[in-house]
Amino acid sequence: MSFYPILKAPDSKGWTTLFNFPPNNWELRDSSEKYINVTWAEDGKWRTENVGKLAFNEVRTFGFDDLPKVIPRGVLPLLSLTLSKLPTHNDILPSLEGIYTVTPAWRATLGVSTEHTSTSYQGEIDPFPAPGSLLTFGPFIQYDHGLENFLILLNIEKSPVTRVAQVEIFDADKIALKAKFEVRNNDATIISLDGLGFSPVDLPLIICREMSAIPLYFSRTSDGNFLSLEHTHPPASYVVHGKRWEAQKILKKLWFSRLGQ
Amino acid sequence: MQNLVLRAKRALWTFKQPLTKKPKLLGAPVSDLFVWRNSDVWRTFFELTDISGLFLGHEETSERFATFFFFDNEGALLCEKRLDLIPNQRQTIDLSLFLSNLKCTFGTFCVFHSYTPKVVSNLGSHIAERSYVSYRYKNAPLRAYVHGNLDAICQLQDMKKQFLGSSSFLPREYRVQHELSGPAHYEIAMVNPSSRHKCISCQLQSTRNGEKIETKKIKLRPGGSYVFQIKLEQPETARIIIGSYLVMARPLVFRSNNNKMDVFHG
Repeated sequence: MSFYPILKAPDSKGWTTLFNFPPNNWELRDSSEKYINVTWAEDGKWRTENVGKLAFNEVRTFGFDDLPKVIPRGVLPLLSLTLSKLPTHNDILPSLEGIYTVTPAWRATLGVSTEHTSTSYQGEIDPFPAPGSLLTFGPFIQYDHGLENFLILLNIEKSPVTRVAQVEIFDADKIALKAKFEVRNNDATIISLDGLGFSPVDLPLIICREMSAIPLYFSRTSDGNFLSLEHTHPPASYVVHGKRWEAQKILKKLWFSRLGQ
Repeated sequence: MQNLVLRAKRALWTFKQPLTKKPKLLGAPVSDLFVWRNSDVWRTFFELTDISGLFLGHEETSERFATFFFFDNEGALLCEKRLDLIPNQRQTIDLSLFLSNLKCTFGTFCVFHSYTPKVVSNLGSHIAERSYVSYRYKNAPLRAYVHGNLDAICQLQDMKKQFLGSSSFLPREYRVQHELSGPAHYEIAMVNPSSRHKCISCQLQSTRNGEKIETKKIKLRPGGSYVFQIKLEQPETARIIIGSYLVMARPLVFRSNNNKMDVFHG
């Protein structure tokens, strides 16, 4: 099974809803009660606390305030469901038992809310190989008075040791570097996309040569009345069938070379 | 022996039942069957990018365009529009420009790219349009984005199309791992990407006591679509189970309440 992070987003609260029933009727016959764990990286270790049990067919939502007080503010809490308790201290991210499905994956609802509204997507995260890399085209910036746009880079790796990498944001057409930011592993790194000089026809290109991540795009009105959240596909999704992961390698090689060092 | 039994049981669900079919024609462009909505309440936008161009060097030029095919809720072709692609730029297309004066308020559309780079066809792969649709609710200042999901249809020679959605031998349930909570109006959009008629049920089940609240059923033609309506009062909470003979019956969920909305894949 995968991990389910509690998202961080500007002036909003993250929450995650867990479900103890399989997403289809044919891949997994499972009606077991499960332990609910929260895992986070702290001082070069993975820490885990048990936060209860989830009976079969039960649904439960967690925000950061629902978690044990021992979890430091600012870390990325990773929820998980397991058949047995996880060790409390680990040098590598705990492997979760083989309770998983593929069509579709066993997911949770990952959401963010303000006092006025909320938005969510169905998601999960598994550890990325390190160092890894990222290339994504993100046509999600929305333009109007009072709108704010953010990129949230979601990463977890097996190692709890903190590392940072550089993320570069380009205009894909002009090959013009718009900005550089630092992205952290085992965290949700929030980057404002406003003020970078993109126009409504510009296609933002985000790359990171040393870290993989799930790119989430979060937009909100400044009064918090309206929210929007979605993730982009990996470049392999531009093609289907055949050696599609080769196509992703080709695309990354082409663009990394075009963008230079 | 036990392993053999498990494999045989599994085969009932997987043998000749791929997630999606392979196009009959090498290099045929593939697309999702996206849901469009066009009414006083909903408008639909599409983020068009030159996918083939992303694989090409700046020195490589070719005329490239994308053709949109719009279908009504019965899967019948309404119209088609050809748009030139602009390399490495973004075109946010307001689909209501193409969908005025129609009786139906929802349906599907697909987008086929005219050119497949050699680097892609050499891999035995197909260019697939599964990019991003956004929906505007009433006069909300923000649109809600959803990504494309499935390789649902492809374009063969002579403008013929092939549905790529796969059928199951046994009835399947797609149990959406999302809790519906009132007060809200939920709309569950379903598409039939297969070449056969499909009966699709949408069962609403309480998450408080597990009781079935209601089950709605619809028969969809190939390429057809339907939007199940669910109104939940406060403090009701529920979940939905989609029943069908489709291998993957993933719904698109629209939630609206008090002029606010959210859209996501189930």
